[in-house]
Amino acid sequence: MNDKPTSPLALTVNGRKVSAVVEPRTHLADFLREQQLLTGTNIGCEQGVCGACTVLVDGVPTRSCITWAVSCQGAEVRTIESFDEDETMAELRAAFTAEHALQCGYCTPGMLATARDIVTRLPQADEARIRLELSGNLCRCTGYVGLVRAIGRVLEARRQRNLAEA
Amino acid sequence: MNAPLPETRAQGIGVALPRKEDDRFMRGRGGYVGNIRMVGMLDVAFVRSPVAHGRIRAIEKPEGSEGAVYTLADLEGVQPIVANSGLAGFKNSAQPVLAGDKVRQVGEMIAMCVAENRAAAEDIAAQVFVDFDELPAVVDMLAARRAGSALVHEEWGDNVFLETFIDADLDDIRSKAAIKVRRKLRTARQSMAPMEGRGVVAHWDHRLGQLIVYTSAQMPHINRTGIAGCLGLDEGQVRVVAPDVGGGFGYKGILLPEEVCVAWLAIKLGRPVRWLEDRREQLTANANCREHDYDITAYADSDGRLLAVDCEATVDSGAYSSYPFSACLEAAQVGSILPGPYKMEKYRCRTWSVATNKPPILPYRGVARTGVCYAIETVMDAIAVQAGLEPWEVRMRNLVLPQEMPYDNITRKHFDSGDYPECLRRAVQAIGLPALRERQRRGEADGRRIGVGLAIFCEQGAHGTSVYHGWGIPMVPGREPVTLRLTPDGVLEIRAGVHSHGQGMETTLAQIAHEVLGIAIDKVRVLLGDTGITPYSTGTWGSRSIVMAGSAVGVACKELKERLIKIGAHLLKDEPAMVTWQAGAVVSPKGWKRIADIARTWYLQPQLLPGDVDPRGLEVSTTYQARRDSGTFSYACHAVVVAVDTALGKVELLDYVVVEDGGVLINPMVVDGQVYGGAAQGIGTALYEEMRYSEDGQPLASTLADYILPGATEVPAIRIAHMETPAPYTEFGQKGIGESGAIGSPAAIANAVNDALRPLGVEINQLPITPRAIVEALAAVSAVSGNQGRNA
Repeated sequence: MNDKPTSPLALTVNGRKVSAVVEPRTHLADFLREQQLLTGTNIGCEQGVCGACTVLVDGVPTRSCITWAVSCQGAEVRTIESFDEDETMAELRAAFTAEHALQCGYCTPGMLATARDIVTRLPQADEARIRLELSGNLCRCTGYVGLVRAIGRVLEARRQRNLAEA
Repeated sequence: MNAPLPETRAQGIGVALPRKEDDRFMRGRGGYVGNIRMVGMLDVAFVRSPVAHGRIRAIEKPEGSEGAVYTLADLEGVQPIVANSGLAGFKNSAQPVLAGDKVRQVGEMIAMCVAENRAAAEDIAAQVFVDFDELPAVVDMLAARRAGSALVHEEWGDNVFLETFIDADLDDIRSKAAIKVRRKLRTARQSMAPMEGRGVVAHWDHRLGQLIVYTSAQMPHINRTGIAGCLGLDEGQVRVVAPDVGGGFGYKGILLPEEVCVAWLAIKLGRPVRWLEDRREQLTANANCREHDYDITAYADSDGRLLAVDCEATVDSGAYSSYPFSACLEAAQVGSILPGPYKMEKYRCRTWSVATNKPPILPYRGVARTGVCYAIETVMDAIAVQAGLEPWEVRMRNLVLPQEMPYDNITRKHFDSGDYPECLRRAVQAIGLPALRERQRRGEADGRRIGVGLAIFCEQGAHGTSVYHGWGIPMVPGREPVTLRLTPDGVLEIRAGVHSHGQGMETTLAQIAHEVLGIAIDKVRVLLGDTGITPYSTGTWGSRSIVMAGSAVGVACKELKERLIKIGAHLLKDEPAMVTWQAGAVVSPKGWKRIADIARTWYLQPQLLPGDVDPRGLEVSTTYQARRDSGTFSYACHAVVVAVDTALGKVELLDYVVVEDGGVLINPMVVDGQVYGGAAQGIGTALYEEMRYSEDGQPLASTLADYILPGATEVPAIRIAHMETPAPYTEFGQKGIGESGAIGSPAAIANAVNDALRPLGVEINQLPITPRAIVEALAAVSAVSGNQGRNA
């Protein structure tokens, strides 16, 4: 029963060149989790709604559950596992834990991917804009209060630093 | 010889300490079931019923699928799941782990397909053919109660799991009451929808002679009991491990047929087997919650003082009684807590737990408290209108007073402590009522209508043996166990049978140990979720863990401290009475011995121990029961301001205040997180979440695009204020508040929307209050008034 068609795939995952053979129907999250054993990308809905599986594809936050693995030919994919040494993510981690921005932790990798995008792309974002930008990431535990505060805290610290440098 | 004593840092009770568990989650190293990989692991997909009610005539396995497809006929000796209520008159449902001759809900499992991966297993499942004789579906709970309805379980003769009745003679009340209000209210069927669904990985360990089941569960010991029972194994042959759990909220407090099936298959095949619930299965096939119907009448005098409440409540319990909470916990709770925080002379309540062709219900955060708060707070507002009072004034006249505490209410609930009127006052003040009334008079520039809503309630939590025995459920919690153990280098291991799925107990239980022992938080390891290494507990549910397990940790730490003092004093050549305990060390004028010094002595230098040393050593196992097991009563008042767009029906939450009394807060940051998260779920109950069914029992929400969870743009910046009245019967004065946030929000929001719409002659009496519900209600009123205009 395993006579499904397969396709060759070459891409970069967390800075590492990867060659693989995948079924065309395999989505990126399954490819990362089952074939690359990168289980930090959590699957929440496989419907493109909850954002738990958000990863960066060529630097852009992307729902890996509705992205075909084969469509990532030649792409650079970054998952939560690659951010241990990332300075922005370290700042976000500190803010997330200080503001209690996570409880069960399941949405957290996707939230951090989106949060990093917000603080780097929208340095002037206010609370309303943070909430709007977070609307593609669902959290069932925190009521978003800590998440919004944590992202706001990092944005404010970055603005203060920019002022100091200017 | 003596290293300096460590600096004392505030890490104990009352400190908003950052959580120990955060780091692994923020680095993508959470240990969820779906992240387990085992050599030779196979994946399962289930064939599920596409019809709500039908007889199975035949199941045809696809050609060439030998060894890949299993039906009930293959599962020889496997017992069905049974959860009998102990209440008289309960009708039993036996849920076969795979359907036998009949299916009773869409999504019921019919066959189990196994392959190298999930996609291949689903390919096989798609080829399994099932021939049905479809039967009429029982969908509406009120219709299900009527004679002549189709029957979910034919042998019952009706569709009622259980009917209960608290009777009272209301004749004199009816004759003297100046105010009588009656409301028919509905709350939608919901899905708890934690971000992680259920999941199971099972394998047989030949060395241990044990079935090992990893499962995303709140109550792993209860799952172990259930799995062993269904498979005919000794409990010693089963070890259940609930690793990191991606949210629970009650959804993961159940023995799943999937767990039994996957465990059976792992034994049968001698290989690890995995099933991971996908979102479609979560929403459409597995447990739902919350669906209540109320016909409630309240009687009051002309000053708005409650005389009596008379209610008929129906709960849609779905097709089967789930283990361990049963089909009747919800309705039993309705009957006993509907009076809320109020005093009254008489109370009458009849409840029905009704079977329908829908998934079973489970107790979702708040359980019945959310529905009853909505019901009683709706009629309190109706009384206020009739009495010509502000809603807060009516409540103030009926709340139990602080000088009456502890107070046994009309259903003999023992309110343990607190100042309910003060809680209400603070909420009304914080929301700024006079300015809002003025704003309503002025009107909005954008044409929207402003409304203010209140809900005040108390939450019985951590209630114990007598309460649950009275509710008849098959699992009655007893004394809560905990085991402590010191390692030779002075690390304290806490082994508790409760579990943490976001509540932060790796941190808060450690804070309690620090409070008693002064041990640094990073020298405490909290071990949870694994039946192989933790003592038997009913687990985490009912806002009980920080009260029960937290107190047990405190009691055990105190006992451990006594033993450490005796050894430490001996090592210091002093009398135990002459030493003190400071910053995790035994201290005398001659010096000090830290926990690590004493632990090293016990394990590696026993020649230095006193001759009469306690033979139980540095391991403490104990159990805890509160001085009364009737539960802690936290309480809160939610105050909400809404703006309602009458053209589009959209509701915006402009302000949201919670005044909460959770007793002594172990970690205020964690408590706030529970309140925020609960309130957000209550906002979903109030405005968005609805698991609708078609007339033939088809679920109409199968994705998170149909079943709407509140997002960051739907939840406002909630403001919390705390009161801290210590609970009189618990070890540190803490109260259970885990569910609280989700209890008050639907009532407060509904009252706010109705406050906004009342001048238009509209009152909405169902949840969720969707844009469609608002627009249709307004259209109905304008149609009526339009007709009246023509008639006149």
